[in-house]
Amino acid sequence: MIPGDLLTRFPSVLMAWRNLGRNRMRTALAALGILIGVVAIASLGIAGVAIQTQANADLGSLTNQVTVSSGQDSPTDGVTDDQVTRIERVVTDARVVPQKTNTTTIESREGEAFVAVTGLTAADALYNASVGEAPSRLQSGALVSAETARELGLELGDPVEYEGRLYRIRGLIEAEGGFGGGGNELVIPISGLSDQQHYDTVTIVAADGEAASGIADRLEAEFNDGEDEELSVTSFASAQENIDSFLNTLNLALLGIGSISLVVASVAILNVMLMSTIERRGEIGVLRAVGIRRGEVLRMILTEAAFIGVIGGLLGAIVSLGVGLVLFDVVAGDPLLVLRWDSVRYLVAGFAFAVVASVLSGLYPAWKAATDRPVEALRG
Amino acid sequence: MSVIVLESVTKRYESGAETVVALDAVDFHADRGEMVSIIGPSGSGKSTMLNMIGLLDTPTSGTVRIDDRVVSDFSEADLTEERRSGIGFVFQDFHLLPMLTAVENVELPSMWDTSVDRRDRAVDLLRRVGLGDRLTHTPDELSGGQRQRVAIARALINEPDIVLADEPTGNLDRDTGATILDELTRFTDEEDVAVVSVTHDEQLVEYADRVVELIDGVIQG
Repeated sequence: MIPGDLLTRFPSVLMAWRNLGRNRMRTALAALGILIGVVAIASLGIAGVAIQTQANADLGSLTNQVTVSSGQDSPTDGVTDDQVTRIERVVTDARVVPQKTNTTTIESREGEAFVAVTGLTAADALYNASVGEAPSRLQSGALVSAETARELGLELGDPVEYEGRLYRIRGLIEAEGGFGGGGNELVIPISGLSDQQHYDTVTIVAADGEAASGIADRLEAEFNDGEDEELSVTSFASAQENIDSFLNTLNLALLGIGSISLVVASVAILNVMLMSTIERRGEIGVLRAVGIRRGEVLRMILTEAAFIGVIGGLLGAIVSLGVGLVLFDVVAGDPLLVLRWDSVRYLVAGFAFAVVASVLSGLYPAWKAATDRPVEALRG
Repeated sequence: MSVIVLESVTKRYESGAETVVALDAVDFHADRGEMVSIIGPSGSGKSTMLNMIGLLDTPTSGTVRIDDRVVSDFSEADLTEERRSGIGFVFQDFHLLPMLTAVENVELPSMWDTSVDRRDRAVDLLRRVGLGDRLTHTPDELSGGQRQRVAIARALINEPDIVLADEPTGNLDRDTGATILDELTRFTDEEDVAVVSVTHDEQLVEYADRVVELIDGVIQG
């Protein structure tokens, strides 16, 4: 397989390769042990990343939001125009979406549904339309949650009625993931709820959880002095931190389990190398007798161990990549996400661990063989 | 001048309460171009003496000189270096490495010396022992006599001063043994080396320039 002439420049590699070839079954089984260890480490690591990726995707739309509502010490029962203006002054780096909410019952030929009504202008900030559109300035028409529309047999362009006014459906919206998502929703222009003086909630959509966290802190400082709570500011960023920290712990636990199998595999290599050096004691004695140095014998045997690690590690990384593709396909719906560094680093780490563990396991047998006195080793 | 000199070399082994004297004040020398046979019954200390000459073991007392240098001053690394460059070994069981070809086995002592290419000399030596057409055969594809000839070529690869042969014909039939001894004597002259062999084979004694008899660790006569 490896041309001998080329390797005369690397005698340790040549000798190690030939030695491993002498007992292919034993070499293959030792490499298989390493392969299993690498697959355990790498695929458990990748599984952790897949779970984290999916968790972030599910929570992402919530954790980058800050929700503001009237505080317990507020004189009004909602958020006033004045307060919205002040919020907008504080929050210049994110979209501020004031909302008025109510509930109602929509009827159609096919039945009726109890829905939550939200009046707002910047519909695109909070909703994704699966059919039709969620406009950035909702002046007329309405959005209905897709499930409600299906239940009631409503389609784009059909009218829905709220408080005696008719709105044409211009978009069907997807149920939001995360907490409290789903349910029946009707979204109409803010003017439809003009009989309510104040806003019920103001949602601030930031770039990410960290930005949301910062905005929440600034709003707290602006509105709430000590014990006095003028506005209630809620952000899910801290929930995300908790979830992240839980997922990190989970990841470490998974990696720990994976490492145990690699430790077991290294013990197997230690055993294999020890057996093969004891079997070859006389041969190593000949090497030493004809003038091969201790360090050269040491290198030869360490190279054998490293070969087992490299072969097992490479195959293990390939198998783990396959496992990762399947995992990401199932969990996140996109197998190619496995190729991101987040996951690939576990393949690299698994391979590196395999080689390091194998060489460490080879150290004792190699040292033992190299320091054996040739006159005794020759007796076999 | 003698390439190897043993002066009053004694080797004692402590085994439990018992002390075994394997060699008792042995004096010995070997010169270039001569073939010396060490004979004696088993347990007489022949192998121990060969280990002393081959720098595989160190004496309890006495001096071993190689090219007029005192070996007891050598470190383990020096001894290894001296064995590599100055001494060739031929064993009774051939001791070829099974996963290497004939020519690789011959190159083995200098294999880690990547600065010198011994391929040409290895091929030349194998041709001279009549194995020019067996260069890429592995030991299990060779007969006993062929294997021992590979071993002789290996012993000579680094142009040593001494070749040590431990029962070189012990595992061979009489005719094959004779050809092996012909090769050894031929190289003794051609390469100008000292050949020291240990044997209880009388055939080998016939080829020797000089015979040393060892009984109970003492040189006779």
